[in-house]
Amino acid sequence: MKKIGLIAILILIGFITWSVRQQPNNLQATSAANESTSKLVLTGSSTVAPLAAEIGKRFEALHPEVRIDVQTGGSSRGVNDARSGLADIGMASRALKADETDLQAQTIALDGIGIILHSSNPVATLDKQQIIDIYTGKIVNWQAVGGRDAPITVVNKAEGRSTLELFLQFFGLKNTDVKPQVVIGDNQQGIKTVSGNPDAIGYVSIGSAEYEAEHGVAIKLLPLDGIAASVENVRNQSFPLSRPLNLVTKTAPTGLIKTFIDFAHSEQVDDLIAAQYFVAVPR
Amino acid sequence: MINAHLRKALSKQTWQPAIRDWLKNTLATGLINLTALVVSGLFVWLLSDVVLHGLPKLSWGFVFDAPRNAGRAGGIAPIIVSTSWILLVAIAAAAPLGLATAVLLTEFTRPASRFGRCVEASVGVLAGVPSIVFGLFGNAFFCVYLKLGFSILSGGLTLACMVLPILIHTAVEGLRAAPDEYRQAAAALGMSRSAALLHLLIPAAAPALLAGLLLGIGRAGAETAALIFTSGYVDRMPGSWLDSGRALSVHIYDLSMNVAGGDANAYASALVLIVLLLTINSLAMALTQHWLHKKMIRL
Repeated sequence: MKKIGLIAILILIGFITWSVRQQPNNLQATSAANESTSKLVLTGSSTVAPLAAEIGKRFEALHPEVRIDVQTGGSSRGVNDARSGLADIGMASRALKADETDLQAQTIALDGIGIILHSSNPVATLDKQQIIDIYTGKIVNWQAVGGRDAPITVVNKAEGRSTLELFLQFFGLKNTDVKPQVVIGDNQQGIKTVSGNPDAIGYVSIGSAEYEAEHGVAIKLLPLDGIAASVENVRNQSFPLSRPLNLVTKTAPTGLIKTFIDFAHSEQVDDLIAAQYFVAVPR
Repeated sequence: MINAHLRKALSKQTWQPAIRDWLKNTLATGLINLTALVVSGLFVWLLSDVVLHGLPKLSWGFVFDAPRNAGRAGGIAPIIVSTSWILLVAIAAAAPLGLATAVLLTEFTRPASRFGRCVEASVGVLAGVPSIVFGLFGNAFFCVYLKLGFSILSGGLTLACMVLPILIHTAVEGLRAAPDEYRQAAAALGMSRSAALLHLLIPAAAPALLAGLLLGIGRAGAETAALIFTSGYVDRMPGSWLDSGRALSVHIYDLSMNVAGGDANAYASALVLIVLLLTINSLAMALTQHWLHKKMIRL
């Protein structure tokens, strides 16, 4: 019994000294990351993160000495971390704002945002003013826009999400004007909320909505300004509500950071972009 | 209203108390059975949902492969490894601290003392803190201030902070439940306090300690919010405790909420997580049984 206790304590001490000993090395690693020796840290948009992780894996395969660590947390976090130096590259699923012009952004892909309804909803199209009225609570029943007699469930995105910012900007709304019944975070949550509620309206990334609709999920995409919400129309840039997926750096990228961003912007990753249901930028 | 009428009508005749009692008893039994049915039904529904959706995807390849295409394809081997490391770090850090605090509270301080009350109150407050707050604290303290970065160590230590109150609370309850006669008899025999603790009190409290440990592991294994900002999102096989490693819960969350077409693998991962937790639980239970048994023989 005493022996077991002694061994346990020894293991614990060993563990603590090991981790303390490792710490200086780690310190060096983080400070050296700026000179881009071996590890790149990316943080930011949860929309970009899976794509960036896949690009990172392919990049690692080509450059075995490099490690690409991708972390999530939202576009605002990506911008902040890139500015503060906490991350080598920030990920943002929107264009840089007016007060972020001190940073550099490289667009690696495009993503359209479409209005989705439950597939059983008879409403086939909504004009801009109708969508604004629904989201500001002026229209609360589907009957007012030619649907059945049922209350509208408005699904909105959470504060800090770039989809929300883009949506509000496009429709000229403020978030305080919006009267949502449901507030959601990530994209798939929006699709699941609307597919589970016949009277819901929401807005999500077009690529994944198109994929889910094709695979039997009960949602449908509405056209906007008469233009169908499809990946094709996002690609030819005729669809009005779309956003760039950006990699953000504090200064003009150099060294490994530049190599990685150039790689992410090259046609070598086109298949990865398509696999995540985004649209490659025209080069 | 109806109840009052019924009671009035029933109490008018003499033979009715028997019926009333019978009715009461049947109703009570029925309600209790219904509750049990609802609770176990909920569990069966949840489990069968996960098993039905997850089992078709589950294979040895799934358990031993690395994820591909953002987790839609491939397996979850690096994620299982990361999860195990995170749990191990969390328990290795929290269990000794928790037990030591519980011993301090029960054996070396009077429950009424100001110090004891202060410690217990702070443990209580810590138990009520939402996990996302632990996540933000862990990110600020372990990742940024201690410069551990997004790493398994940061994630494990954050979880340790989170499960510490559970461990302390259950250990205190267990030790307090050990009869005072043990302590008196040990003192009468001239046993040192540490010997009494090691050979009498901790074995007596072992079932409670184990229950606390299992609760802690369960809570830690299910944790997403505290881990996404500490141990991170990287789904590569971790090379050391200072690498970022994605936990199973984070993987499940990402696949179901962020990755289109990730549902099937999310279910399979959830199934693996359940099996992993059940295995840890039964292993811990068997170990304690074994240990207690040996202890009893020696006593």
